[in-house]
Amino acid sequence: MSTNDSRQVRLLWGSVAVVAAIVVATLIDKGSIGLQLILSGLTVGSIYALVAMGFSVIYSTTRVINFAQGGFSMLGGMLMYTFSVQAHLPPWLGLILAVAIVTAFGAGFERAAINPLKDKSVITIIIITIGLSIFMTAVAKWIWGTDPVKIAAFTGEKPLRFLGASLVPQSLWVFGFTLLAVVLVFAFFNRTLLGKGMRAAADNPDAASLVGVSSSTSSLVAWTLAAGLGAAAGVVIAPINFAQYSAGTTLGLKGFSAAVLGGLGSAPGAVVGGLVLGVLETITASYLPSGYKDAVAFLILILVLLVRPQGLLGKPESVKV
Amino acid sequence: MEGQLTRQSETNWRTYRTLIIVAVFVFLVPVWARFIPGDVLHMDIVNIMVLAGVYACAVIGLNLLVGYGGQISLGHAAFFGVGAYTTAILCTRLHWFPSWLGIIAGAALAGVVGWLVGKPVLRLKGNYLAMATLGLGEIAFILFQQVKGLTGGTVGILDIPPLSVFGLKFDTDFKLFFVVWALVMVLMLLSINLVYSRVGRALRALHSSEVAADAMGVNTSRYKVQVFVLSAVFAGLGGALFAHFQKYINPESFTLALSILFITMVVVGGMGNIWGGLVGVVILTFLPSVIQALPQWIPGLPSGLSNFSNYELVLYGLLLIGFMIFLPKGVAYGLARAGGFTEMRARHLRDRIKARKIESH
Repeated sequence: MSTNDSRQVRLLWGSVAVVAAIVVATLIDKGSIGLQLILSGLTVGSIYALVAMGFSVIYSTTRVINFAQGGFSMLGGMLMYTFSVQAHLPPWLGLILAVAIVTAFGAGFERAAINPLKDKSVITIIIITIGLSIFMTAVAKWIWGTDPVKIAAFTGEKPLRFLGASLVPQSLWVFGFTLLAVVLVFAFFNRTLLGKGMRAAADNPDAASLVGVSSSTSSLVAWTLAAGLGAAAGVVIAPINFAQYSAGTTLGLKGFSAAVLGGLGSAPGAVVGGLVLGVLETITASYLPSGYKDAVAFLILILVLLVRPQGLLGKPESVKV
Repeated sequence: MEGQLTRQSETNWRTYRTLIIVAVFVFLVPVWARFIPGDVLHMDIVNIMVLAGVYACAVIGLNLLVGYGGQISLGHAAFFGVGAYTTAILCTRLHWFPSWLGIIAGAALAGVVGWLVGKPVLRLKGNYLAMATLGLGEIAFILFQQVKGLTGGTVGILDIPPLSVFGLKFDTDFKLFFVVWALVMVLMLLSINLVYSRVGRALRALHSSEVAADAMGVNTSRYKVQVFVLSAVFAGLGGALFAHFQKYINPESFTLALSILFITMVVVGGMGNIWGGLVGVVILTFLPSVIQALPQWIPGLPSGLSNFSNYELVLYGLLLIGFMIFLPKGVAYGLARAGGFTEMRARHLRDRIKARKIESH
């Protein structure tokens, strides 16, 4: 066991070293443009991290992969457009309303479609969440049309200068939200009774229900939390990315890759995975034809799965026979 | 033991009988469809059935992989695309190249790709296998878009010649229908034989418990790769037929949405039920056309619904969720159970009548 552990630690530090080497090489090769690339990569990476956290919350408690996670973010962004641009509400109120609506929707969906399921096999739930994602995309297209919409940044659009590179202020909001989200999720699962109970329910549903934690409640809370996180991500990134009915698929796939890269089910892993993916993707896009940018993300995903299926920070899963 | 053996061959015979009945029923479709003018059903049945047959090739293979082998793939659109692009490139670049050989080449290349990819990826299980195959499908889609010299980029390949075998041209939907569905029936026959063979039993053992199968001496990793390659070949075959049927292809035809459609067809029809795949294909290929035709069928439908151009997708999403909640084992299973139920009721009734007769004597 100990040799296995040390091998994993070596792998982890090895991959950290590779990423660091790539970052340093880019800085040396491109100077301030390299710094600009890394800053944009970190912004994009934070977006992926926020979406990835939603995947992790549901996966770590119910072992379900929610293919509609990107859809929650899309819905959050579109609702933010309705409240802040169409209804002229202040951004903070728009944020609260958008997150509240999507959270309620996520909880309602769990009660309506996931909870009553008798056959909870991986493939059944994958198809249900794909159905949800198709449904949300279609409804959003109906309500908001197909054009991408612009939402004003929370605090001005004037770029901040930093060592020859520039950063839009909304990026700072994204960083802040990511940090806040990871702290809150981590605290919830490690410091509160409900969170700890949910981890117990994920580990051993029967034993947990004996001491009063039902996996049904646990699933409801996980979906509610993931929908809220997804919506918040959608709202805070909308000023950078534009909001559009079809944004959910790409966001979902990238967030998903980030979650796997960092280790499915680990909130800090989601952040590390998101940042690494964002930076690597932005750097490779500057060297390769931009069409291959997305291929890089998926190539990293597959390589990580083959070499280290539990991701950079995840714990290996044992198989019960 | 002997009883077991006879029962096995009996099931086999019954399955062949079902195959013949299904084949006769399917091949009669274009005959009766000819008598219904297009403006009654508001859909071109033969055209949709050709598409269903093309998809069926991929779905039959995927059902062997998912339903019998227990391995998930969310990237089968890639193999479908490899088959389509192979024959399209060969037949448009080399004008002398026979299209039937292009189809064989497409299926073969899809199999080679399946082997190269399957060997490393099939070490993964469950959710992780789903993710890896999804990633592979996305990479294939990006390659179809980006390797512009071969694939024509986002425009794709136009003017693909129709399928012709030794001078016989299958250039209408009506003619193509018979070729495609004859092929589907051949694939069904192959699958039935496979399922009842040693390989089929090994796959089912693998599905229920990989560890146990391993311990019993089943070479699980080899069987997994074999069934994966077989499903890739079937998908490549379907894709190649698709190219000659549509006459043009572009990367948009081979997205994640198609991979998802395939797996949905398997699950909606009934995983691990060879007939289920066919049922799922027919239901889901017709579903968009049926939803589109609904406003014309039901004149009283609120006009708001028919104006709403996107209600098809809303309904489609809801139906997927509904199928999974109410018929998680698939429509074929539901039908079989309903059939079994009525059969049981009938037998019960017969027994009671017999009992009454005996009483009255």
